[in-house]
Amino acid sequence: MERKLVRPHSMDEALSQREQHGMDALPIAGGQSLLVMLRNKLIDPKILLDLESIGELRGLQRRSSGVSIGAMTTFFELLSSAEVQNVLPVLAQAAAKVGSTAIRNLGTLGGNLCHNEPGADLPPALLVLNAVVELRSRKGVRVVPLTDFFRDYFETAVAADEILSRVEIPALSQGARSAYIKHSISAEDLAIVGVAVVVIPDEQKAGSVHELRIGLGGVAPVPFRAAKAEAAVHGKVLNDDAIRAVAEIAASEAEPMSDPHASADYRRKMVKVLVRRAIAAAMERAERNGHGKT
Amino acid sequence: MAKLKLEVNGESLAVEAAETALLLDALREGLGLTGTKRGCETSHCGACTVLLGGVAVHSCVVLAARCEGKEITTVEGLSQDGELNELQRLFLKHGALQCGYCTPGMLMAATALLRRNPKPTLEEVKGGLDGNLCRCTGYTGIFEAIQACALGGK
Repeated sequence: MERKLVRPHSMDEALSQREQHGMDALPIAGGQSLLVMLRNKLIDPKILLDLESIGELRGLQRRSSGVSIGAMTTFFELLSSAEVQNVLPVLAQAAAKVGSTAIRNLGTLGGNLCHNEPGADLPPALLVLNAVVELRSRKGVRVVPLTDFFRDYFETAVAADEILSRVEIPALSQGARSAYIKHSISAEDLAIVGVAVVVIPDEQKAGSVHELRIGLGGVAPVPFRAAKAEAAVHGKVLNDDAIRAVAEIAASEAEPMSDPHASADYRRKMVKVLVRRAIAAAMERAERNGHGKT
Repeated sequence: MAKLKLEVNGESLAVEAAETALLLDALREGLGLTGTKRGCETSHCGACTVLLGGVAVHSCVVLAARCEGKEITTVEGLSQDGELNELQRLFLKHGALQCGYCTPGMLMAATALLRRNPKPTLEEVKGGLDGNLCRCTGYTGIFEAIQACALGGK
């Protein structure tokens, strides 16, 4: 039977399709990953549910509590948005590293998260931003922290009757610094290792860290926060030794796999290197102010 | 099957295709516009690059049905009255091709780049072609042709 294309114009219509057909009605966002999966016969949905014409899945809203971004926002829109560049620079950096120009023109935030391919660039950045996703169904809305969203290779918390509608990102405190660093052989590849960090300095104690957040991609079944490494540095001065120790712990938290791009051992070693570099990149401004070198 | 109306190179064309047909197939099989090349079919090589609404996309990962009402430009749309345009002429002048299979995609990616950035640096030229592979290792000529075009053909 020929695959059908359904192009709803409202969220209600789209969610009715999901309620009725479940996993047989697969939402298609930018299509940059999904159409490759189809071509390679890795998936075979009866219906493609085209989300392009649903207005409420678009747009970026600044709120006092943070930023709300529609699932259909493209990588290009993210990386070129002055709002994202100013308020969430780590997300703009990660969006700029996704695939190639053509992929960034069409690929979307929601699609990237729901596809959940190891080495994707946005998850580490959104993890350190403490992002939560809004999952809609006919039954209502579920708000899921990103740390609970990624379940396994290519699997997420999205239920068969749900659609990821928005990503909510709380505002970062003033003085927070961040960076995303990607290691890949060729620029358009997925990350062998992707590291995002947020460093929140202690306002009361110069040179000390109130909070360090580390998001890792490509080095475990799902992208994750290196919680042990983060805890190790809380309240401490982030000097060379501390950064080296943090990077060691982060590497020990990775559960990498070997694949044709890199061995598990290499990935783990690269975590150590990239965590150091990401912290250094985030702290660059602080270094110039004499708060210690990395 | 679905009946689609696509705006290709300034013309409104009717094409019949499967509901979930790819733009690449609608162009090549449906409309006979074979200038757009079929390469990897997985969005890596860029041989199938066309402009959709003025920006570069890989037509192997675009649903044709989504393109209705949007301006599509293929390599066939670059020449005017049977004459190659300046970028195409400069590709010849600078020897920016060997086998030529990547050339339509390179031309379309370069066209998109020059539209949004008329005076790109070499790094920006490379960035604009990050979705296009040449396996004859002919990048130098391609970069030169695009930069020459940005300088008004010099």
